[in-house]
Amino acid sequence: MLRHTLLFFDYEVKNLLRRPIWAVFGIIQPVMYLIFFAPLLRTTVPGGNMEQVLAMFTPGAMMMIALFGSLFAGFGMINETRNGVLERLAVSPAWRPGIVLGRVMKDMVALVVQATLVMLLALLLGLRITVPAFLLMLLLMAATGMFAASLSYGLALAIRDEMGVSQIVQFFALPLTLLAGLFLPVNLGPQWLQTVAKFNPLYYAVEAGRSLFRGDLGDSTVPVAFGLLIVLAAITLTWSMRSLRSLAG
Amino acid sequence: MIIEAHDLRKTFTAKRGRGKTEQVEAVRGIDLAVETGEIFAALGPNGAGKTTTVRMLATFTVPTSGSAKVAGYDVVSQAAKVRESIGYVSQAGGVDDNAPGLDSLILTARLAGMSLKQAKARADELLTTFSLSDIANREAKTLSGGQKRRFALAIGLVTRPPLVFLDEPTTGLDPQNRANLWDEVRKLRDEGTSVLLTTHYLDEADALCDRLVIIDNGKIVAEGTPGELKKEVAGDVVTLKLKGSDEAEDVLKAQPYIKEVRAEDGLLRAYLDDGEHGLPMMLRALEERNLTLESISLDRATLDDVFLKHTGRSLRDAA
Repeated sequence: MLRHTLLFFDYEVKNLLRRPIWAVFGIIQPVMYLIFFAPLLRTTVPGGNMEQVLAMFTPGAMMMIALFGSLFAGFGMINETRNGVLERLAVSPAWRPGIVLGRVMKDMVALVVQATLVMLLALLLGLRITVPAFLLMLLLMAATGMFAASLSYGLALAIRDEMGVSQIVQFFALPLTLLAGLFLPVNLGPQWLQTVAKFNPLYYAVEAGRSLFRGDLGDSTVPVAFGLLIVLAAITLTWSMRSLRSLAG
Repeated sequence: MIIEAHDLRKTFTAKRGRGKTEQVEAVRGIDLAVETGEIFAALGPNGAGKTTTVRMLATFTVPTSGSAKVAGYDVVSQAAKVRESIGYVSQAGGVDDNAPGLDSLILTARLAGMSLKQAKARADELLTTFSLSDIANREAKTLSGGQKRRFALAIGLVTRPPLVFLDEPTTGLDPQNRANLWDEVRKLRDEGTSVLLTTHYLDEADALCDRLVIIDNGKIVAEGTPGELKKEVAGDVVTLKLKGSDEAEDVLKAQPYIKEVRAEDGLLRAYLDDGEHGLPMMLRALEERNLTLESISLDRATLDDVFLKHTGRSLRDAA
């Protein structure tokens, strides 16, 4: 089982490495936000220096890669429901969950690499964080990627239509962005906004990221985010594997 | 016996909007017996249920009812065992467009348990067999239809399965590529591999298979070797076009050497065993009644005539 998952992972990573340019494209958006938006943010925060602004804003910018990258991971699989690849794998001795798991692992690795690049840029711009915070942030990104990619594969396998999946993802991307406090912490907003945000898994990821970047590694937001993301990833993974099974009818 | 199926049925529930559903009986009771080492064809028009039948035998789709054994294992309760014994080349091909064909070959071999070294050796063998060595490292999306088909076939064979399913293997191929693929399939049989293929091409079933079933509307309407089936209809067929075809039909039906007469689209088709000698007699009989021919032709009976006999329509129209 593990062997099959690793074989799929290896195959997918090779495909990714054949076109690394797209992974680079994926971080252009957060990079632009860091360079062009963070300085702007600084002027609005009373007495704010760049280090504080970056500690607040960088986790949000990193989550952006998950939202606009990993959530679209399933797109490639929609085509595979039609071109016979999944059909062939379904009647091969391959361990079926491995088909999705191997891909999700690839997306997690891609997201962690992208996140590392964005964090390195933030460090260049003046962010100051400890090594444990840096590593824990990468783990948090991996958990976010696992959830976002599994959700995307689940959607892809359940809907099997590029138009449908892109509409749904686009539809949810903006409210998820705003209600996660990607740009400004939600606790600056009114009570009702804070209540609504609590239904957004990404909100917890961003909050945990901010705690880590503040150097508050023991903050309760950190275990809550990890727990929530892992549970949600498990649910969406199960869902996508179920959808894979029902492919044949 | 490599495939044994009894009364296989598959009913799909199709959505018809607003929560309405409709039951579609794709396969309505199919019995199959395929001998080890033969090329067996399922011939029929599009939508006849060929693909659904193959998908059930290949463990992709679970039958609604009935049972089937493939390579000695039950397709439902022992699906994992069946999967170890088959190669499956779907109509869509199943070649990953974004990767080189070689990568797909190696992945498939390794998933079946081969080491990287064994997988590479086996892939090399197949690349040579199918003349794919030069394009092994090109992304599949840059390949031609024929090249991709060959990769699809190679991927289906990489685990050396005793049985391969080929679903419409030559659809969309040019005549040259079709002929090449036929040769490859014959080579498989020579090496002892059993083949179940589906096709809606009469000439393909005729030229390639040892035995076949004709499937229409989810049911088998005829079964046998191509020779047997054609003999059942008669050796030759005379196709006539003339005015007053109703009268001509009666005249021809009265001739003792004519086995059967069918009217279709203003044409009359007369089936007889010895066309060379029957034709002059037919002409005389029609002359006596002053029936004037517009055209006439004499052909060997084909599987289309078999299809016509059993379904009342021509496969060319049905497909």
